[in-house]
Amino acid sequence: MPNQGNLEGLEPIEEIDAAGLIPTPRTTETGLRINIRGRSIRLRRLRRPPKGLLRWLLILGPGLIATSAGNDAGGIATYSSAGAKFGYQLIWVMVVLTLSFAIVQEMCARLGAATGRGLLDLIRERFGVGWTLFAVAIIVVANSGVTLSEFVGIGAASELLGVSRYISVPVCAVLLWYLVIFGSYAKVEKIFLLMTLVFFAYPIAAIMGKPDWSAVAEGAFIPRIQWNSEYIFLLVGVLGTTITPYIQIFQQSSTVERGAARRHYGDERVDAYVGSVFSNTMSVAMIIATAATLYVAGQNDITSAADAAKALEPVVGSAAKYLFAVGLLGASLLAGAVLPLATAYAVSEAFGVPKGVNLDFRRGRTFFTIFTALIVFGAAVALIPNVPIFPLLVGIQVLNGVLLPIILVFILLLINNERLTGDLKNTPIYNVLGWGTFALITTAVVVMLGGQILELLGIKLF
Amino acid sequence: MLMLSYLLRFQVTDEKQNSAKLTDLSVALLDADYPNVTQMLFLTSENKSMRLDWSAVKAIDPKRRKILVEDLNAAAECVPDEIRGDVLLKHDVLDALILDLLNRRTTRASDLLLEEQENFGLRLRAVDASFGAMVRRVSFGYYKRINEKELYDWKYVEFLRGDPSGVENGAGYRLRITRLPVGEIAQLASYVPYLHAAELLTLLPDPQAADVLETLPIERQVQIIEEFSEREAVKMFELMAPNLAADLIARLHTATMKRYLERLPKKKSERIINLLRYQEDTVGGVMTNDMIYASGDLTVAEAREKLREPLKEPDFVELVFVVDDETSRRLRGVISLRQLLIEDDDCRLEEVMHPFVQSLNPDDSAIDAAYRLAGTQLNAMPVTTAEEGKLVGVMTIDAAIPLITPATGGMQGVRIFS
Repeated sequence: MPNQGNLEGLEPIEEIDAAGLIPTPRTTETGLRINIRGRSIRLRRLRRPPKGLLRWLLILGPGLIATSAGNDAGGIATYSSAGAKFGYQLIWVMVVLTLSFAIVQEMCARLGAATGRGLLDLIRERFGVGWTLFAVAIIVVANSGVTLSEFVGIGAASELLGVSRYISVPVCAVLLWYLVIFGSYAKVEKIFLLMTLVFFAYPIAAIMGKPDWSAVAEGAFIPRIQWNSEYIFLLVGVLGTTITPYIQIFQQSSTVERGAARRHYGDERVDAYVGSVFSNTMSVAMIIATAATLYVAGQNDITSAADAAKALEPVVGSAAKYLFAVGLLGASLLAGAVLPLATAYAVSEAFGVPKGVNLDFRRGRTFFTIFTALIVFGAAVALIPNVPIFPLLVGIQVLNGVLLPIILVFILLLINNERLTGDLKNTPIYNVLGWGTFALITTAVVVMLGGQILELLGIKLF
Repeated sequence: MLMLSYLLRFQVTDEKQNSAKLTDLSVALLDADYPNVTQMLFLTSENKSMRLDWSAVKAIDPKRRKILVEDLNAAAECVPDEIRGDVLLKHDVLDALILDLLNRRTTRASDLLLEEQENFGLRLRAVDASFGAMVRRVSFGYYKRINEKELYDWKYVEFLRGDPSGVENGAGYRLRITRLPVGEIAQLASYVPYLHAAELLTLLPDPQAADVLETLPIERQVQIIEEFSEREAVKMFELMAPNLAADLIARLHTATMKRYLERLPKKKSERIINLLRYQEDTVGGVMTNDMIYASGDLTVAEAREKLREPLKEPDFVELVFVVDDETSRRLRGVISLRQLLIEDDDCRLEEVMHPFVQSLNPDDSAIDAAYRLAGTQLNAMPVTTAEEGKLVGVMTIDAAIPLITPATGGMQGVRIFS
């Protein structure tokens, strides 16, 4: 073996054909040394891939931050209500759902990496125009509801900070519209994300609120269903807010956007799993924190943001409502821009029309119309006076829960289509878990709707 | 003229009164501007899927929605694996993403227009991507209006299935998209999902595919090159400009990169390796080492002869660098291609060359060099080693532009010299 020492500048001239001698190298020892055709060469252009913890932080970092923001107005409302009304008794649902959520997120990421296209693109291609119109209708309804939640959240947060919602909601609507369309959203997004970091106070509050940990464990690991309509209603709400339809579609689009290729899918998979576990842990923290303060004190009804903010009192005392308001505002602004955008992308994809914020208005007519319409709808309805905010927010999440099984069916059918996904298609375990999730959610939805219909007819089921 | 949405409601009958439901049509996609329908697929009353050559058709009755064939029993059973190679109108083309070349954008085929030929042949004539087409599909053909102005002539449509391994390398030489300039093909390739883009590049003739690949945003390049077989990928690297090939190959996994470098022809891989020795943000990281040089002792006529072969390959040929001799390659001056053609045959290169040549050092910062190059109003500057003044590369203005201006929509900058 030739001497493996520094060969720079010592390369035999005959071996180098058309290119030149290597000049005196800089002193920095960057790059990688590799052996090609028996010669060992230092290629400074190559970067050594980060190893160990740093590598994982770089992969997961963005996703973790983004999923902590996934707890938007609707999520906060639902989890807080769950904690206040039923204490620790819905936590087992969250534990079960963590598995489901991780699986569904991962399937969507996998679909995106394997096909390079969004969900509605695939639905149109595999199922045709009729089913596409159906899916589009479902998504527009669900997403309009969530957009409305975000603007309601903006209004509630601003009122906690002393600004009337009749000012904050229109101002924020115009602001978001402008930022997204004229391109500076990326810069402001970071500010909104920073605001949501406030919610890291929830796990701290959960501990400082000194909950009865044995009761928490009982609620988490012993599944107990209360057969009353309120419980079932909130259960479906929790389902809908944890596995929100728009998040699945967004996950797939993000994977496509990031340029993930199917040969190196592994990192995306880890990102999806870790992101969902992390997000659910935050949600559970929210439930525990609220239960430890409100439920224990006998305050079972949350009607306003001020009530929900009390959960943070163990951490920051009377400043709780300001902290809460900042976080809620950040999360609502973040989602308030993402939702109309994601919906506009999805619908444009389905109809095969041009999409993207960089288009001029004439070419992207459908895209911009949908985007604007959703913002206008959300802002307008959020301003209707005398609407009980928290019950509305929970109701919208229940709607999401009802529509969720339909989207799940599409996802499961597509991911099992070998022609689309090739060797990234579902393994049997995944199918069992996936269809199992579908079955559980559908059962919950059917029981809830059934109970409500029967109640309307005068028959009380529970 | 028949719309596919209407045609798919037809029944197939034969002279013995057997009847079956028409399910799909297969076409010979790349054979003609307007591909002919080659086979029909139908579903028997026992729910078996069968296929029959279109030549067996004896009559088409649009009013009664019937297609008459000689004998339904002459049909063969439809084996799923066989179907993979064909292009089926309903299963593959309908609702798929297509490239509209006239308007340079992508759209969806909501309905297809078929034209009747003699002997009851059918050929694919146009695509209907309008909203009306969607209404027609959902109403099962009851809504019959066709707006002629909204039809896209199939001749100017490219259809991709999103399956790069399903097409033969270079088989699309007849595709109209090959007539577009490289930049426009790259633009269209960036509109479609990456698998479709990979399929498109597989269909293009290799040199053109390499040109398009070089122009795409680097992330897209990586996605696509990973879909190619090793043989195809190596071919791409062989045909790409060395600096752009180096950019791409550096992004692959080290083991893959090493394998490709070892499989490339030696001269080409040496070029790429030598560029990889420099960091990305230096002149060495953006220059190309594919340039024309000749010894100053040669006469103009001799140089013209000698350079005939070398001039065929590189992208940048505007300047011929005049050097001491081929081995040491000390830079003496530069002569333009124009001069090579018009100067007196008997003059020696060192007499007609421009001797005061500024040059760059490969370890200089790329951005500083870019500004310097832009400031000189030259279109390129040679890169020489500090000690010996040996010519190792050339930095062209199109490599400098992306460093001074903001990104132009993700594409790899303006390509002036390729």
